Amino acid sequence: MKYISFFPAFLFFASVSAAELPDGDTVAANINARNEGVQVSRNVTMEMTDRSGKTRTRETRNFRKYFGKEKRTAIFYLEPRNVKDTAFLTYDYPDAGRDDDQWLYLPAMRKVRRISAADRGDYFLGTDLSYEDIKLESRVSLDDYTRHTLGEDQVDGHRCILVEALPVDGETAKELGYGRVEQCVDMDIWFVRRARFWDTKGNPLKTAYFRDIRQVQGLWTQHQIDVENHKTGHRTRFLFREVDYRTPVGDQVFTQNALRRGL
Amino acid sequence: MSPWHIILALLLIPSMASAQAELSHQVQSRLAIETDSGRTRLWDTDWRPELRWRFDNGGRLTGSLRLRWQGEPGLRPADGFRDAYAGASRPQGLGDNAEIELRELYYERSLGEGYLTVGKQQVVWGKADGLKVLDVVDPQSFREFILEDFEQSRIPRWTLNLERPLGDWTLQVLWIPDQTYHALPKPDATFAFHSPRFVPAAPSGVAVRLNEAERPSRVFADADAGFRLSGFVGGWDLSLNYLYHYFNLPTLHQRVTLDAQPQVEITPRFHRTHLLGGTFSRAFGDWVARGEVGYFSDRYFLVADPLHQGEAARSTELSHVVGLDWSGLTDTFVSLQWFQSWLPQHDERFIRPKVDSQLTFLLRRSFLNETLRAEVLWIGGLDAGDGLVRPKLSHDLNDHLEVWLGADLFYGKHRGTFGQFDEQDRLLLGLKLGF
Repeated sequence: MKYISFFPAFLFFASVSAAELPDGDTVAANINARNEGVQVSRNVTMEMTDRSGKTRTRETRNFRKYFGKEKRTAIFYLEPRNVKDTAFLTYDYPDAGRDDDQWLYLPAMRKVRRISAADRGDYFLGTDLSYEDIKLESRVSLDDYTRHTLGEDQVDGHRCILVEALPVDGETAKELGYGRVEQCVDMDIWFVRRARFWDTKGNPLKTAYFRDIRQVQGLWTQHQIDVENHKTGHRTRFLFREVDYRTPVGDQVFTQNALRRGL
Repeated sequence: MSPWHIILALLLIPSMASAQAELSHQVQSRLAIETDSGRTRLWDTDWRPELRWRFDNGGRLTGSLRLRWQGEPGLRPADGFRDAYAGASRPQGLGDNAEIELRELYYERSLGEGYLTVGKQQVVWGKADGLKVLDVVDPQSFREFILEDFEQSRIPRWTLNLERPLGDWTLQVLWIPDQTYHALPKPDATFAFHSPRFVPAAPSGVAVRLNEAERPSRVFADADAGFRLSGFVGGWDLSLNYLYHYFNLPTLHQRVTLDAQPQVEITPRFHRTHLLGGTFSRAFGDWVARGEVGYFSDRYFLVADPLHQGEAARSTELSHVVGLDWSGLTDTFVSLQWFQSWLPQHDERFIRPKVDSQLTFLLRRSFLNETLRAEVLWIGGLDAGDGLVRPKLSHDLNDHLEVWLGADLFYGKHRGTFGQFDEQDRLLLGLKLGF
């Protein structure tokens, strides 16, 4: 097991014995059981900053809706002009054996392209989150990882439980682009407050902080994600505004026709 | 009142109503150098302002113009036949070096469960990249052969476009009363067609007379119409397409007169055809398979000897593209496409072969969080052994400015679709500014 070598370092920082804490699977199940509403609409700003400090900004409008257990997500780019009208759609199926279906609309081609769900480890349109990260939002994948509780830690003044997630096999690790993930989960609200990622060779890859978590219409909601890629020095900040769980989102938003038409 | 007055009125009226307006601009400038001589082949700048009005009723009006300026020397704006355009779609010349064109002007809104888009717009069908089987709803400018981005070269037309869900499927119905067709370069233009497949060659000593094109011009009787039924079934994206239209490329009918002075009289003529086709795409792990097929009921082609074999030869045409995309490596995209066009009624009179085949290969990789992109596209004609290679390196300097360096390199015999431009190899430097 090439991942086992990381294990002792995190036990060292743990203040409470892992045996007294919920196991990894329980933590993951609680995260995914948290109510995130049947639907949500929101504006998301993506600020991407390279090693030299140069920042690019994208304004997007995002929608997510559950159709039974199937989750559909649509992201529409509003600004700047060079990426305006780009749109992304994904269908995430509850059946672990079924690949997601994903489409990307590129306005320069005026065509909706089918994209492979195996691209899920690729970075999403220049950000530091992968397609898979974007799709999962504040949830975690139960099928791609095995989980172990490491202990406790603190993030931004919040006590949280450290959980190590290891890809179930080498193929999955390659697809995801991660050899190991360590998440710090706030047990009061079952929200990941920090996630550290290592690449498939065991090198530190990136760290993501989930901040400004507060209730919107009774549902815990992140309003800021800060991700730093340790290999490239590139950073992305996601800012969530006008989060709305109540206003109905039409089924037609999650279609290829909607990608073409834009908002 | 000219079409331009109507357009201006449409542009102004909404600004007085209750609406939100968004104005954005895109400026693109390109410089092309001929690789052999080092001469400037192209120096142009396009400015594309786009305005969108959003109305309280959910409707939206989109209008965009393109102002194109040409430097000296280089391609002239008039290299593209403006007479290929119907009156209401035609670009307006601004002196010898510039032209202005209404690219798009359309209103769209939901209609019950359906969606209506009416006005000058682009309608894009098909799943292929760079090769066209079903993407023939709108014509194209061949001012730079196929080198210009389709977004720039596709000619939007005045179209009524209605979409309506039918269960899990969507029906799109099109009505296009706009008799605009492919804009082809003049015989002395940089990218004028020379291949005998496209241009008849008269024997020496025989005069050639080129007549005005016989263009359909009846707004209603000559309108194009069609539908697309598209859906997502069992992981497959599928569509069934039908279009009753004038094929966008005229056939050059040849008539020989043997008076005192032998003469070949050439008349470009547009022909109606039924197009029936379909598309598919599906992802399989790292792979995406996609394709399209189209059957044309009435196509006309040049014949080798018009003196004995008539003006043009008719055949049906069956064309297809099958593509495989692979993205097994991070930030890397590889695509291979195979195109074939088959003429079932082909015989010895035809100049073009019975089966025409092309392959394309695209390798693209992005770096630095997609701010730097490198790609090479190869398009090869399998029959004439000719082709085109297009390497390109592009970089986003910031949110608003992209610069690129590329080349367009033709090779092969002059009778081939690509080989006819073997003398036109060029290096390109470009920038695109958006704000």
